[in-house]
Parts: sequence; C-alpha cells; structure tokens
Amino acid sequence: MNNSDATHDRRQRFDRTVAVFYMDMYRYAAWLSRDKSIAEDVVQEALLRAWKSLDALRDDAAAKQWLLTIVRRENARYFERRRLETVDIDNLTASQAALLAEEPNEELSDLREAIYGLEDDYREPLVLQVLMGYSTNEIAELMGLKQGAVLTRLHRARLKLKDEVVNEAFS
Amino acid sequence: MSQKSKIMNCNDYKEALTADPGFEDESGHVDNCASCQAFGAEMLALDEKIAAALAIRVPELTMPELPEIDTENVVPLVARRSISRPAWFALAATVLLAAFVGLRTPDMSLTGGTLEEQVLAHLDHEPQALRVTRTRVSDSRLAEVVPANIATMNDDVGLISYARTCVINGKKVPHLVIQGEHGPVTILLMPGEKITQAKTLDGVGIHGVILPVGDGSIAIVGDREEKLGQIEKNVLDSVTWDI
Repeated sequence: MNNSDATHDRRQRFDRTVAVFYMDMYRYAAWLSRDKSIAEDVVQEALLRAWKSLDALRDDAAAKQWLLTIVRRENARYFERRRLETVDIDNLTASQAALLAEEPNEELSDLREAIYGLEDDYREPLVLQVLMGYSTNEIAELMGLKQGAVLTRLHRARLKLKDEVVNEAFS
Repeated sequence: MSQKSKIMNCNDYKEALTADPGFEDESGHVDNCASCQAFGAEMLALDEKIAAALAIRVPELTMPELPEIDTENVVPLVARRSISRPAWFALAATVLLAAFVGLRTPDMSLTGGTLEEQVLAHLDHEPQALRVTRTRVSDSRLAEVVPANIATMNDDVGLISYARTCVINGKKVPHLVIQGEHGPVTILLMPGEKITQAKTLDGVGIHGVILPVGDGSIAIVGDREEKLGQIEKNVLDSVTWDI
C-alpha cells in the first residue's frame, strides 16, 4: 500500500468512527461541562487528539470507550486551563442556560435541571450508565474507581433525582 | 453494597436496583414481593425520564482542520490470532456501520446517526448479552423489561436468554436476546421509533432487519448464517404491541 492509499484509508477509518460516536461524544462533553459552548470546544479538541493518535486504537470494537476517554481528558484539561468557578445554577451564562432551555416538557425540564444540579461525581456515572449504556464495571474502569464506589454514587444520584421528582410533583 | 447476595431482602433489592436498574435478582425475592415489584416499576419509569432528560439535541458535526499524518512511519497493526464471539459481533457491527456511514457522508458534514446506525452501534454496548446459553431469563425480569404497556409476548418467540432496558436514540427500549440456531439473536423493541418501511441490515458476519410495527419498530440482528425469516415471523406473531 502506498502512502497516499494509507492516508486515505486512515482518514476514512477516522470519519466512520467519529460518525458513529459523535452524538455520544457531544452529549458526554455537554453533561461533563454543563455548557454547550464548552462541550463544542472540548469535542473539537478531542477530535484533533483522536486523529493524531488514531493508530493507537488497535480494536475498532473499543472505539467508543477510547473516544469517551479522550473527551473526559480534554474536558479536564479545559477546566484546568481556565480554572473556572463552580457553576451557580441561579446565575447561568447563556451557553449554560441553553443546555436547560431546549426541553418544552415541564416535567423533563425540571428533571434536567435536577441532573444539572447534581455533583459532578454523581452526574457523570449516571450519564455513562443511562445514556451510554455502560455497565458499572465499565464506568469504574473509565472513571478509575472501584465498582462499589460507582454503585454508591449511582444509588445516591437516583435517590436525589427521585426526591426532586417527588418534590416537584407536590409543589 | 453487594449485588451478588444470595439472600435478599427489600432493602438489599431496592438499594441494588437504585444503583443499577438492570440488576437481576437471582434470589427470587422480587417474584414474591409486591412492594419491590412496585419499586422496580417506579425506578424504571424514573430512568426513562432521566434518559429523555439527558438526550439533549446535538448540533451538526463540524470537523476540525486535521493535520497531515506521516503514515509511512506508522507501525502496521499485528493481526489478532482469534476474536471472541462477542468481540467479533461488535467488530462486525462497527464495520457494517462504517460502511453505511461512509457511503452516505462524502462531504464530512456528519450528524449523530440514523436509527440503523444506532441499533448496530448498540451491539457494541453489551457484548455479554451475546453468549450461547440454555438459561432463560426469569418471568419477573422479562415483565420488568417488557412492561405490559409496551408489549406482551408469548413463549413462541423462543428462548429469551437476556433482557435489559437500554437506550436507543435517547429512548429506553427493551433489549432482548433469543437463542437462534447459529447463536444469539438480538431483538430491540422500539415503540417510539416509527418507520415507513423495513430496513435491511447487511454486513460481514451479521445481518438483520428493522421492521415497522404500528407506531414503532422492531430490530432483529443475528449471525449471517441465521435464518431470520422464521424468527421474524415468531417475533411478530408473539409480540402484541400495546402502544
């Protein structure tokens, strides 16, 4: 295979992999950063990094985990660089508020706000389990935790959301 | 918090279920506990709402400017000696999906994925579902994953060896696996995914179909050698769509 063919094949492999998992990458970044603009920046950086290190991905069946790990690292780098303040849910920027504003259903809107307000440690495993379909073992591996810690966080996250749903129903 | 306790009480069950709604109670406790059954239904409903709340709209992908890579110095990958069946299924699904996407997106203006793409990508999520076994899931588990307000199923569908509520296209759907003649066959009941005509899934090693059923659809994916016609008939005959 000549260099031109190899370059073409590499680009094709990258485009196909990204096309399959772009939606997951963006949603994961959005719920990690709680800001749509930051999520777009993080995904752009993650795509660049993935492109440069594509040859390290030996098994395409592991592409999703690989890409989400890159998104996770890029998100951490983003916040490290900017040293952003903790988000105050009552004083959101337009880009932060955009994440909450798009839901026309009031019940879901309340729930989305409750998820938004969860601590990062609770919100991330919930996103990985409910949205990405990850097992608790896979979440533990991605987050560098023991499975027991993941189970505890998921348990507490759901209890908090359940309380929110009940409170909203009564208020 | 252990999920492997042989003996389970209400607190154990509720704690395990709150951490993982896919938790399977092997002790049989929930079969005889109305309170836990109600709690299970409540948690499933909550998780459906959480999934919907998390499924935010995704903007169209804008690919960044990618630098040139010196492919001459890339070390070729060493071929794997063997691939386990689940990994092989996942790889085949990815290759098939890539073929679909590659044909449709020459301008690199890519979006999040069609229903076919999401169905196939989902096989990658749970390779543990694709094991050959003669053990069927419990009736209570099946009732939990396929509640009566979505569908009712009779035994003609075949031996159901796996049942879990999963997310496709941001919506919770029952994910089932039955044992075919050539290995596990994945069935996804998608009551919220209306399609106008059947969609064929065809690739290296696997094939399948997404069938329109009322206001929803059902995806069936199995080994390339598997005769899906009879399975499709069994599924359609045994599922009563209640939406």
